Amino acid sequence: MTGLKSVLYHLGRLALALVFVYAGAVKMQDVVVFAGHVAAYQILPYALNYLVAATLPYIEFLAGVLLLLNLRVRPALVVVGAMTACFMGALVSVLARGLEIDCGCFDPGGGQEVTAGVALLRDIGLMALVVTTWWLRNRTTTGSARR
Amino acid sequence: MFDDMKRIGLEACVLIAFGTLFGLTLNHQLVMDAFSGRLVPPPRQTVQQPMPVALPVPVLIGEVRQLMASGALLVDARSPELYATGHIEGAVSLPLVEIDTGLPKFLEHLAKDRSIITYCSGFGCPDSFDLGVLLIEAGCRDVRVFEGGFPEWRDAGLPVAGEG
Repeated sequence: MTGLKSVLYHLGRLALALVFVYAGAVKMQDVVVFAGHVAAYQILPYALNYLVAATLPYIEFLAGVLLLLNLRVRPALVVVGAMTACFMGALVSVLARGLEIDCGCFDPGGGQEVTAGVALLRDIGLMALVVTTWWLRNRTTTGSARR
Repeated sequence: MFDDMKRIGLEACVLIAFGTLFGLTLNHQLVMDAFSGRLVPPPRQTVQQPMPVALPVPVLIGEVRQLMASGALLVDARSPELYATGHIEGAVSLPLVEIDTGLPKFLEHLAKDRSIITYCSGFGCPDSFDLGVLLIEAGCRDVRVFEGGFPEWRDAGLPVAGEG
């Protein structure tokens, strides 16, 4: 375990933790508004939008908290990576269909609209961070300390 | 290593299960309402906008059917292309994007006291609401918004028209 890699690992972990704790917490505030954002993607049948809106923020929040606490980091990274992959798929589909919608990634109705293209670029960065953190995790931890 | 991955995968599933359980516990009423198709709360406007004089009244899918039976006019606020692909049976097209040319023509053939219900692509689509406000400002007396819009209508298996 080298010092630099360890520092980078913790930085990556904390950055992802903050992003997902924030994303989850802010969407929990108003699940109904978030359901509106999900519906705007026009991917899911009507009622499923509400199911996603009612559960996704809590999964994001929980994964973020685990990353923050340095507990079950790799399972949390798997979940965060899987979610980011789903978001990217949804955004690609939005771009392909030429829909002009707000991504609804963070603050619902917070005033600043983020287009699908910008959100997709952001998700690519997020995905790179997930992969890097995973990689660093496997190299900064000895076998016995792995969780 | 394989056992390791299996455990990580399992723990990831447990994480998702806990998150889902957590979310469903807190929002079970909303989800149940959405799936039963009754009383779905409309998305609230969190961005403060200057209030127009009067606002169109939101109506649920059941009320839309009743109002249609008693002669209300359904107005599709979406683009002409979307209208052509599929719309609520009996609805007329008045796209918000072409409102400047469309509105005078629309008002020409309309009794001001006829009930109007606007709709667009469901929650997350503000066009039906904006169109409703414009119609009220143009003098229509009874304007309502069906916020579930075309998606809710179609998913409920109610009659639609168009190319499909």
